[in-house]
Amino acid sequence: MLPLTWDIVVQGIGEVGKLIFFVAVAVISLEVVAYLILVKWLKFKNALPFMLMLPALAGVAILILYPFGFNIYLAFSNMSMYRFKEFSVGWQYGISNLLDVFRVPVLQRVTFFQLFLRTFIWTAINVVFHVLGGLILAILLNRPMRGKAIYRTLLVVPWAIPQVIAALAWRCEFHYQYGFVNILLEKLGLRAVQWMSDPFWAFIAVVVVNIWLGIPFMMVTILGGLQSISPDYYDAAQIDGASGWQQFRFITLPLLNPILTPAIILGVIWTFNNFNVIYLVTGGGPMEGTDILVTSLYKAVFEFYRYGFGAAYSLVIFLFLLVFSVIYLRISGGFKGAWEA
Amino acid sequence: MRRVFVRMLVCVMLIAMIVPLGAFAQKNMTITLWTKESEAEGVLQEIIELTKEFGKAHPGVEFEVVNYGVEDLRQNFQSAAFAGAGPDLLWTVSDHAGPFEAMKLIKPVDALFGAGYIDKFVKPGIEAVELGGKVWGVPLSVGNHLMLLYNKKLVASPPKNTDELIKVGKELTKDLDGDGKPDQYALVYNLNEPFWFAAWMGGFGAWPLDGTEPTLNTPGVVDALQFVYDLKFTHKIVPMECDYDAADSLFKEGKAAMIINGDWSLSGYLTDEVKKNVELGVARIPMVTKTGLWPSPMTSGIYFMFPEYVSADKEAVIKDFVEYICSEEIQLLFLEKYMRLPALESALKSPLVTDDPIVKGSSDQMVVGKPMPTVPEMRAAWDAIRPNQEAVMAGKATPADAAKAMQEACENLIREMKK
Amino acid sequence: MTSMKSQETTLLTTGLRTYSKTRRKAMLKSAAIHFVLIVACIIAVYPFLRVVSISLRPGVALLSTSLALIPKGATLDNYRTLILDKDFTVWLWNSLIVSVATVLIGLLLAATAAYAFSRWKFPGRRQGLVFLLLTQMVPPGMLLLPIYIMVVRLNLFNTYTGMIIAYSVGSVPFSIWLLKGYYDTIPKELEEAALVDGADPLTTFYRIVLPLAAPALAIAGLFSFMTAWNEYMMARVMLQKASMFTWPLGFQKLRDQFTTQWGVFSAASVLVAIPAMLLFLYSSKWLISGLTLGGLKE
Repeated sequence: MLPLTWDIVVQGIGEVGKLIFFVAVAVISLEVVAYLILVKWLKFKNALPFMLMLPALAGVAILILYPFGFNIYLAFSNMSMYRFKEFSVGWQYGISNLLDVFRVPVLQRVTFFQLFLRTFIWTAINVVFHVLGGLILAILLNRPMRGKAIYRTLLVVPWAIPQVIAALAWRCEFHYQYGFVNILLEKLGLRAVQWMSDPFWAFIAVVVVNIWLGIPFMMVTILGGLQSISPDYYDAAQIDGASGWQQFRFITLPLLNPILTPAIILGVIWTFNNFNVIYLVTGGGPMEGTDILVTSLYKAVFEFYRYGFGAAYSLVIFLFLLVFSVIYLRISGGFKGAWEA
Repeated sequence: MRRVFVRMLVCVMLIAMIVPLGAFAQKNMTITLWTKESEAEGVLQEIIELTKEFGKAHPGVEFEVVNYGVEDLRQNFQSAAFAGAGPDLLWTVSDHAGPFEAMKLIKPVDALFGAGYIDKFVKPGIEAVELGGKVWGVPLSVGNHLMLLYNKKLVASPPKNTDELIKVGKELTKDLDGDGKPDQYALVYNLNEPFWFAAWMGGFGAWPLDGTEPTLNTPGVVDALQFVYDLKFTHKIVPMECDYDAADSLFKEGKAAMIINGDWSLSGYLTDEVKKNVELGVARIPMVTKTGLWPSPMTSGIYFMFPEYVSADKEAVIKDFVEYICSEEIQLLFLEKYMRLPALESALKSPLVTDDPIVKGSSDQMVVGKPMPTVPEMRAAWDAIRPNQEAVMAGKATPADAAKAMQEACENLIREMKK
Repeated sequence: MTSMKSQETTLLTTGLRTYSKTRRKAMLKSAAIHFVLIVACIIAVYPFLRVVSISLRPGVALLSTSLALIPKGATLDNYRTLILDKDFTVWLWNSLIVSVATVLIGLLLAATAAYAFSRWKFPGRRQGLVFLLLTQMVPPGMLLLPIYIMVVRLNLFNTYTGMIIAYSVGSVPFSIWLLKGYYDTIPKELEEAALVDGADPLTTFYRIVLPLAAPALAIAGLFSFMTAWNEYMMARVMLQKASMFTWPLGFQKLRDQFTTQWGVFSAASVLVAIPAMLLFLYSSKWLISGLTLGGLKE
């Protein structure tokens, strides 16, 4: 056993202190250089906003761009178990890696297209329920009522629990004999379900877990949006004799749109890339029936040692997500709010 | 808010300047040991004690013992060794020897220790990590094999063959509270785990690999799949769904008469708390009546492996440490405390092994076990078996189809791995 | 007379009837709303209560088919074991300083950058915002190996520095989006007045905009904290020293290849979930006003 000694405390604070000091120095020197170049030398009109963004963008660029570049490099290699340290790089490997994504099973049964379809269904079901659930709860909460603060606090619990723990807890609850889900089903006179043996039910199980996890975020976001809508609109609508549904359809929804669009886009990205829930609850099983693109990517690399293939595969996944987002932005009218403000 | 922030920053910086003064004092040699042993059985604590003990005889040597799960250890070691910064010594399972050797991340130990030293260990222990004519690990303990554990309070003597198992099994599966569902089971084990299935495969004369060639689409595999299917759906003597924790828990609570579990679990069934419900007996997994063969659980072991990048001066100390841990005295200590069968030929002759009924039962089962293939292809076989075994156990595939799918998947995986 | 009186009474009674009808309707509606919310709350909280319940179970009876939340023979033994025999306090401490440092550095970087995105219309602004969104699309696991190689080359493994940099920079894109959305809602007139008074743009930002943006800063901080607090994959490859483990890594010690100490594990889960929940509770008054994702507010 390792007690929390003074040494550990001091060492931790010391390191963090040094780091913050280092970051401060780095930011200041970066700014000085930028000032000299942009203001003194180039006399750049937009120097100030660029200087404000510089530290953040530099950090993001280094942390994303270098690894991303390395990933592209790996995608053109034949790195695998037998060629782990001495792999070669070349166009032909890149092309065959890319073709393999669509040509051979990504793991052992499921192919890319099956996984893509499943990921699509997974994302669609989740986001629809997140938004619907969040919307219903937000509308119910958006009124003067008793116990509002308590409801709000309790409803946020799934979001506040560390995801790893929530996922493991749920996995136990889908246990055939000991999980409360089956116990409850039997109490209601229904048959117990073999959640972990049947791919269909396993998929339902992970979807349920993820819906449970994701509703609070949407609820809070939408509630924020609802509260910013002026009550005058509703008063006016009531005078005109608009029904509740009409008020929702013609006032609430359009005014929520600027908040819903980014929330939905982020929700889609997060759900699409959600690794934890599936990996921890079912591990992608049974029969690879609950694997989605990102879990299969992780398995291909770390369990099947297909580094080169995995790098190519990850680029394909990234591109699919990118294309989807662009299309969605075009259709929904996008971030008009964000651009114009 | 800003003022508070600035004050905090100043404080932190002050501390930051004071701290490093002491930190760069004369450093001793630190050996990083990665182990798969966790605190769950108490072995991790034992290892830390042993490194301290070793440190007393070797002043200036310190150990950094880090625990990772078996899978995490493998994945982490791959990444670490690729980047050139990893542990100095690994304490892990034999299956890792295959991939690590293929990736050229570890070095052979026969050259390091000399043949004379390696010969002191039992043959199966060495064979399990022999690849390409070289030995890739020093065994700490052998076994890690499954066996039949039974609760004498529920079943007086273990079934000798599978017919008897089914007959006794039907009597032992009981609905005690009359709600129409059984709440005492005859047999429990990890139904969907290929490691358990492998034992049955052996009982039907099949085995996943022949050398490096998959042999999964054979009549033996089909029969074995049919057998485990029947246990669940026809004879109904195992629970409808059963994972490791459920099996373990049912047995500990006295709600299961028999469990198939590994030697690592033995010490857990001998605690005072469990003894209230369980009077433990150990036997071989019942002989398969149809073939007259004993099921052959996979035997493997726990090994020290040496990363290839470790410097010579460190290696000398590490060698001493390995010899210390693999000594008869320590191996017997692990036997006594954690029921781990020693790998040293001489230690196996100790009365601690020959006189204890449970250890004897365990070693009796090991005799009919087969070493788990160490070749990297085994990984492909595991991954090919799992989903198809799951399919049979869910009633979604016939044994014949599943065996065919296993073979195909395994061949594909091996082809992809070798690309 | 009588007819008038009777007319009056009928009017009165019908009026009363409609009044009580609308009142009953309102009460029914309110009861229905409360009912739905209570059910939703139970669904939200119940799984966690089950974890609490497992953590209170004594030794052997870890799995049980009882739905009672307080188990038979409830005991705090698991908590005692955890706090007295395990490295638990060390893990919590490590997680805590990593998370706090992540929040500080992440906010430092994001607060100013978001201000630039909010107030200036410079060329490349759209592209910048889209680039930030793109970073969220990178599949997890894709960057693991390259980042690890970077960390080793810079000699940052076995330090918190590598992790904190990775986490704080990783949290920056989302924070910028969130803060930009909130800055957009702060009227520009306030800053213009200050600028007229002769303050320079930076002072205006620190003195006027930042204090007003406190709710959004709190939420951005909460998000960064949660990411750092829960991160496992990166920590797993970067930390190779038991005394530096964060809790997600330390938890693995409680599990073996096949066996898990579920009781202790649950107790540990409860104890790490509590700080996160308290943080949410504490920031709940800002949670709703501060979470403005690039939204438009008039």
